[in-house]
Amino acid sequence: MSRRPRARRPPVRVRGLSVWLIALLVALVATIQIRSQAEVERSLVGVDTTSLAFLIDDLHSANDALASQKADLISLRATLQSGQSGAADQVLTDEAQRLRAIDGLIPVQGPGIVMEVDARGLTALDLQDALNNFMAARAEAIDVNDHRVVTGVAVEQDGGNVTIGGAVVSPPWTISVIGDPVKLAEVADLMTQQLLADRRVRAAGYRTENDIVISSVISEKPFVYAIPS
Amino acid sequence: MSRLAGVAVVALVAVAVGFVLAGQVKAQLLTPSNQVARYQALVRSVQELESANAGERRQIADLRAQIDALESDAAARSATTQALRNQVSDLRAHAGLVAMHGPGVEVILRDGAPGPDSGSGTGYLVNFEDVQDVVNLLFAQGAEAVAVSGRRITPLSAFSGSEGQIAIDQGQPLASPVKIDAIGDRNRMVAALDDPSSLPGVRARQVQFSLHLTFEGLPDISVPASDSSLQVPHVTSS
Repeated sequence: MSRRPRARRPPVRVRGLSVWLIALLVALVATIQIRSQAEVERSLVGVDTTSLAFLIDDLHSANDALASQKADLISLRATLQSGQSGAADQVLTDEAQRLRAIDGLIPVQGPGIVMEVDARGLTALDLQDALNNFMAARAEAIDVNDHRVVTGVAVEQDGGNVTIGGAVVSPPWTISVIGDPVKLAEVADLMTQQLLADRRVRAAGYRTENDIVISSVISEKPFVYAIPS
Repeated sequence: MSRLAGVAVVALVAVAVGFVLAGQVKAQLLTPSNQVARYQALVRSVQELESANAGERRQIADLRAQIDALESDAAARSATTQALRNQVSDLRAHAGLVAMHGPGVEVILRDGAPGPDSGSGTGYLVNFEDVQDVVNLLFAQGAEAVAVSGRRITPLSAFSGSEGQIAIDQGQPLASPVKIDAIGDRNRMVAALDDPSSLPGVRARQVQFSLHLTFEGLPDISVPASDSSLQVPHVTSS
């Protein structure tokens, strides 16, 4: 009768090492779990429920805009993948024209609002804030007193004057904005109320228009320092 | 072989125990109140939306890369297409749709400390106007490409937010510390940032709340391509 071979037990040192390994793994996983949750929530600590509700609303709008952009890009990709004769040329021609409009390099038209502000003592910061408010309402093209403005065009204070791209822009300011007229009107309405409460402002108002023509353009500047990666 | 399996089982058990332990600890930390539950639900919604937001932006970046590759293929077959593609590439670079690098400045804005007076509000927090002011200053000094904490500024970019949150375009909100990278004439940009009369709002709060503003010129910095929406559905060329 053969004896059943005894299972070889690992030496004590190996067993000790295994226990340490298990303990280390448990601690590691637990720490990562707890810290990752804490990390995510840290950025929101102290934010009140009203702000969180606004944040949710903003994120919903942002995600809708991103989904719409994604749908456009998917359609563009499908056109290019179709391999039809001239498809790429048409896509590139349309894209060039769209980008020229975004970069402010060509005259454009479309629906939007026209705001007029007559004031003494408003500064470049006031104008920058007004333009940013319209940009946040998804403005697609902006002109102030026949000067095209996109983010990146310098709006500066030069003594008592406000300049756009180096040119003095004296009040009254006529701000023409192309985009969704409903969204833009909401912003213009709020801004008008704020401006009318400002003692420096003599008059402020806006109107929506179905077809605003913006003829001003920005001259294209070549890159001197920036190189495509 | 069996020893290897044994080790794998031990590791699996350890990981499972870790998860259970962490879940228990988190559950213990929660205060059983409706208010907390509501707050947690809101926070969860924000987290889910932020995760979806990051996913959408990643997909937009991927789609733009795929379109670029398809255009490149088409351009290789036709000189006309190649000429058109060169034009579009340049326009895309100006629109912030191309990653760039070059000399420039790196600016860091960091929250200060709350004032001893409880009524001093949130002045110690970096807000979107601070970021907007720095970006405008850099563009005014000839910056050719700017990114805020990895978010590329485009001709249609807007800044918004509340209480120390900085939202740029359709991205999820950023918080302090905020890093602003700008490619351009670094000496000119550094001189403007050094000018005590520039950024009056930030400088006043540097004194009052120890808000941090630091910057340095660097020989080579990189800014990514925009992953936001650049749709202009209402505009037509006239």
